[in-house]
Amino acid sequence: MVVTTSAFETLAHHEAHTLGMEGLPLLVIDHPLGGEPPDRVAAKAAHTVAQLVARLGP
Amino acid sequence: MSATGPLASEVIELEDSFEAVEAHFRERGWTDGLPIVPPTPERVRAMLAGIEAAPDAVTGKVPPLWGEATVEKIAINAVMAGCRPAAMPVLVAALEAMLDPMFNLYGVQATTHPVAPLVIVNGPAAARLGMHAGPGVFGPGNAANATLGRAVRLCLWNLGGGRPGAGDMATQGSPAKYTYAIAEREEANPWGPLHASLGFHAGESVVTVFAGEGPHNVNDHVSQRAPNLLTVIADTAATLGSNVGWYLAQSQLLVVLGPEHAASIAADGFSRADVQRCLYEQARRPIGRLKIGGMWGIHDWPRWMTTVDDETRLPIVPGPDDILVMVAGGAGKHSAVVPNCCFSRAVSRAVTRWPGS
Repeated sequence: MVVTTSAFETLAHHEAHTLGMEGLPLLVIDHPLGGEPPDRVAAKAAHTVAQLVARLGP
Repeated sequence: MSATGPLASEVIELEDSFEAVEAHFRERGWTDGLPIVPPTPERVRAMLAGIEAAPDAVTGKVPPLWGEATVEKIAINAVMAGCRPAAMPVLVAALEAMLDPMFNLYGVQATTHPVAPLVIVNGPAAARLGMHAGPGVFGPGNAANATLGRAVRLCLWNLGGGRPGAGDMATQGSPAKYTYAIAEREEANPWGPLHASLGFHAGESVVTVFAGEGPHNVNDHVSQRAPNLLTVIADTAATLGSNVGWYLAQSQLLVVLGPEHAASIAADGFSRADVQRCLYEQARRPIGRLKIGGMWGIHDWPRWMTTVDDETRLPIVPGPDDILVMVAGGAGKHSAVVPNCCFSRAVSRAVTRWPGS
């Protein structure tokens, strides 16, 4: 699983394509990460972890 | 395959006009926004004749999209940039240097920081190409400097996919990303040329790539003593908004002394090592100020730097040798500091592969 912010999602897709890894799973976090207040970072982290757990699945 | 044989690259048939070629390349995003020299097979073969290397020889793969940099592909971009064939051995050596893992070209290409590879040419190659090291060294005006730097950019653009918002994620970019290549004014360096200080023989041709911001001016019309002048230079280097220092292990500074500044410092008895030591000691920021913002909290420092009081002034590079000192420019009391991006190390390569070598 590759983690990226939304601003870098296009780059991640292009690179996955170039490297022949079209189906590479991406976990995308809303940009930005820097300059955010702690409560919003915590909310993003919680959402990200939930997404990660769901994708890894049983 | 040879420079006179068939080319491996696709040949595109277009209307025989500058405008048609320009439009074709621009519409496909193959240029940096400036007009290009059409890379006809004849021009590409002429460019390939400038280097003792097979056209299908692979220099490496260029991140972040990992296009293969064969000598032929590099030659095509060199033609587009307006280079003369004599530039090819330097251009290939520069790409080899940038593909050294120490340079971290992936980071340099894809970062949000406005970093561009500065290409520094030392030794006989500079004169062979007709490069400029004197007045207005960073440009504009000299074709060899301008086209060599532009060829590097076009290789990063077309082979590496370093296009704004895609493979190049720079928030604002930099004019240095169009072209960024200089030679050293070696005869004006009181301590010998840059490449000799990096372990090469002074008579060798060497290319050094440095992942830097654009040059930051240092204006000092007054100082006669070396410590004063170096303090002014250090103050230009150690600013709160700089990347340098946050990832300490890979932070470096390039100091491009104007010839008059270099002469003043040398006249005060300072060696190159003295200059480096003085700048290392002076180019510092108090940790209390660093806590204001910047990259505080996501920095990467040795433990001792995090256990000092707020008044302690912290170094911005690991040691004196991480401050590269060279001389370039013309008359006047100006020098330049080129901060690096803090996640790349300068890399040098000897320039070989001249035709007939």
